Amino acid sequence: MSDAIQPFGTNFAALGYDLEARLDAWDALRAKMVRTLPETFTRDEWAYLIGFVAKPHLTAILERTFKSERPHGGACSLFRARGPLAIWLPSNISLLGPLVMVLASFTGMPIRIKAGSKSPDLCAPFIAYLLEYISTEELRGYLQNQVKIERFDRQDPRNAEMAAEASVRIAFGSDAAVAAIHALPHPPNSIGIHFGDHRSEAWLDAAAVDDASLLTLIKVFMIYGQAGCTSPRRILLLGGSNQDAETLCNRMSGLWSQAVKRDIPMHVASSNILYSQINKVQGWKIHMQERHGAIIGVGALDLPELAGPMSIAIIPARLEQAIASLPANIQTIGYQLKDAHALLPAIARTNIKRFVPIAQMHHFGPVWDGQNFFRLLFEEVDLQ
Amino acid sequence: MSELLQAPPFAPRDDAILLREMNALSRWHLEGCPEYRKVWPNFKQATCFAELPFLHVGVFKNYAWRTRQEGVVHQRILKSSSTTGSASQVLLDNQSSTLQSQSSAAILRDSLGAESSPLLVLDDAKALLQRGEVSARMTAAMSLRPLASELHFLLKGGDAPEYLDWGKVAELCRQHSNLLLYGFTWMLWITWAQGAIPEDVRVLLRKTRIRFVHSGGWKKLEAIKVTRDQFDAALLANAAPGSSVLDFYGLVEQVGIIYPLCSAGFRHVPRWAAVLVRDPWTLLPLTSDHGMLQLMNPLALGAPYHSVLTEDLGRMVEGQCPCGRMGQRFELLGRMPRAELRGCANV
Repeated sequence: MSDAIQPFGTNFAALGYDLEARLDAWDALRAKMVRTLPETFTRDEWAYLIGFVAKPHLTAILERTFKSERPHGGACSLFRARGPLAIWLPSNISLLGPLVMVLASFTGMPIRIKAGSKSPDLCAPFIAYLLEYISTEELRGYLQNQVKIERFDRQDPRNAEMAAEASVRIAFGSDAAVAAIHALPHPPNSIGIHFGDHRSEAWLDAAAVDDASLLTLIKVFMIYGQAGCTSPRRILLLGGSNQDAETLCNRMSGLWSQAVKRDIPMHVASSNILYSQINKVQGWKIHMQERHGAIIGVGALDLPELAGPMSIAIIPARLEQAIASLPANIQTIGYQLKDAHALLPAIARTNIKRFVPIAQMHHFGPVWDGQNFFRLLFEEVDLQ
Repeated sequence: MSELLQAPPFAPRDDAILLREMNALSRWHLEGCPEYRKVWPNFKQATCFAELPFLHVGVFKNYAWRTRQEGVVHQRILKSSSTTGSASQVLLDNQSSTLQSQSSAAILRDSLGAESSPLLVLDDAKALLQRGEVSARMTAAMSLRPLASELHFLLKGGDAPEYLDWGKVAELCRQHSNLLLYGFTWMLWITWAQGAIPEDVRVLLRKTRIRFVHSGGWKKLEAIKVTRDQFDAALLANAAPGSSVLDFYGLVEQVGIIYPLCSAGFRHVPRWAAVLVRDPWTLLPLTSDHGMLQLMNPLALGAPYHSVLTEDLGRMVEGQCPCGRMGQRFELLGRMPRAELRGCANV
C-alpha cells in the first residue's frame, strides 16, 4: 500500500492509493456500462449505477465527507480508514448493496460481504461485472484480492468470523436481525452501522405542483413501488381538501402514460387487481392506472393503510397531522412545496432522516438514515 | 338453482339461462354482502359473462366473505392448502354444499363412469373430524363419495410415505377387483408412485383395476422434472390392465366445479359453469390468447365466490373437441409466473 495522502481543503485523507487514478477507473467503466445491461439488473438500477460511479458524483461525496476550509494555522483533520469491513447485505434484491460496496471500496480496506442465503443479490453480479470490465490493474486487483462475497445463512459460523475480524460492521435488515449481528463478539474499538427497515413519503403543496413534478413523482414511485425504502408510499397533500386530492389523482392519471412506457409484469398487474378490491373494502376510493400499472387510492389518514406493492395513497392533511402520522421508521420525505425551508422547525421535531426534492428520493449518499455512514468508516485524527 | 343441473354436464349449455342465473346470484350477493357491494357498487346487470362482477382469488386469503340472506345457513369453512403462507377461506352453506356435491358427482361420473367401488383416500381420517373446518384435500376426496361403495383412509398418523397403510391396501385388493383411489398429485407421487410398495402388495395391485384420481397441481413435480406421462406410467405400472389415471383441476374458491383432463388434453366446462380468459393488463376477454382464467358458476349462495378471477393461466380453445364433449373447453397452462421483489423495504 502506498503512503498516499490526499488533501481535501485543509483536511487530509490517508487512502493508501492514488485517488485520482481510482476515480478515473470508476469513471472509465461507465462507457462500457452504457453498452451492456447484465440480466440481473433492471434498466433503472443499471442507469443509477452508471450515474453513481461517475467521477464528479464520487468526488462530491468525498469532498462532502472530508473537505474543510479552516483558517490558516487552525485545527484540521486527517482521516484514515478504521480497518477491515464486514457487510451483511439485505435479504431482498436491493441496489444498496452495490452502492455501499462502491463507497466502502474507497477505504482501501479488505471488505467481506455476506449475501442472503435464500434470494438473489445484486452485489455478486456487480463485482463479477467489475472484474470483467474494469481495465485498471490497481482497482481490479483491489476488488479481486480484497473484496470477498459469500452466501450463507444467519446460523453459519462465518457470521461470527466476520464480526470478529472487522473494524466496521455494516448490517442491513430488521432491528432484530441487526441486533443479532452487532451482538456477535467483535473488537472493542470496532463500530456497527445499521441500515434498518425504513419507509418514505411525498409531501406536496397543491399550488406548487406542476406536470413536470408529477411526472417525476410517478417515475420515482414506479421504480420500486412500496418495496423501496426511499419510495413514496403515500402522498400527503399539505393544506389540501378531499377535492384537491381527487384533482391531483386525476392529474396523475392523465400523465401516467407519459411517465410509464412499459407494461409491468403480469403478476404485478394481477396483484393490482387484487389490491384494488381489498382497498375498496377498506374504504379507499381507488383509481386503477393504465394497463393496471399501479393503484392510486384517495382517502383519509384514519383509513387502514393502503395495501399492495404498487399502491400509492393521496391524503389531504394539515402539516401537524402529517407530522403526527409519520411512522416511527420514516426515512425520506420527498417534497414539492412552495417553501420547503419553512418546514425546518417542524422537521426538527420528527425522525425524518432525509428531506429532499422528489427527484432525489432514491439518491443514495454518504449521509443515510441519519448519519454520515461513509465518514464513520474512517477515524478522524486531530491535527494541530 | 338450477335447471342446468338436470342435464348431463357436457350437454349443450343454454347461455341465456346461465347468464340470468349469474346475474341474479350477483345481485343476491351484492344485497347480502356489504363488502362485495364496496367492490362492485355500480353493478346492475350483465349482458354477457364478461360484464359479470368477480373477485380476485387472492381476496379469499384476506377476508372470510359472507353473504347474509334468508335461508342461508353457514356451516363450516373450507380452507385451501397453502405453499405461500396464508390459506384461502371459503364459507360453505348447506344449500350450496348440496348443489356442489351434485355438480362434482355428475362431472366425475362423466369421466369415470357410474360404477361404484371402494374409495381409498390418501389422507388421514382425522382430517374429517375437525370441527367447523374442512381442508381442500378432503373436499376434493369427498367429491368422489357419490361414486364410492365404501370409504377408506390410507394414511395413519402422518403425511409421509411411511404412514401409508399397505396392509389395508392388501386387504381391499383381496376383497375387490376394482378400486377408486384419490390423492393430491404430489402425495400420490411420493407415497404410491415412488413409495416402497411391499412385494406381496405389489402382486395384489397388479391384479386390481384401479382408477387413480388426483388434483392439486404440478408445481412440485415440475420442479423435479417429472412429466405427466412418467407420473401416469409409474402409477399404472402396479395396477391391472384397464386401470386409469384422471387429473382434475379445481379451486376451493369454485368448490363443486372441477375440470378433468380429457383424452385430448383439454379441460371441459360443465353446462352450469362458464370460463373466461382475461388479459391481465386490460381485463379484456381473450378468445384464443393465453391469460388469467376467470371461473364462474351459479352454485355458491353463502358467499360471493361464484365468479373468481384466478392467477392460473389458460387459453380458450374453440371448435369440437376430439373427446366428443360439447361446450366450452380450455387449455390449462399453469400458475402465473412471479419474480422476486426488488427494493430495500421490508414489505
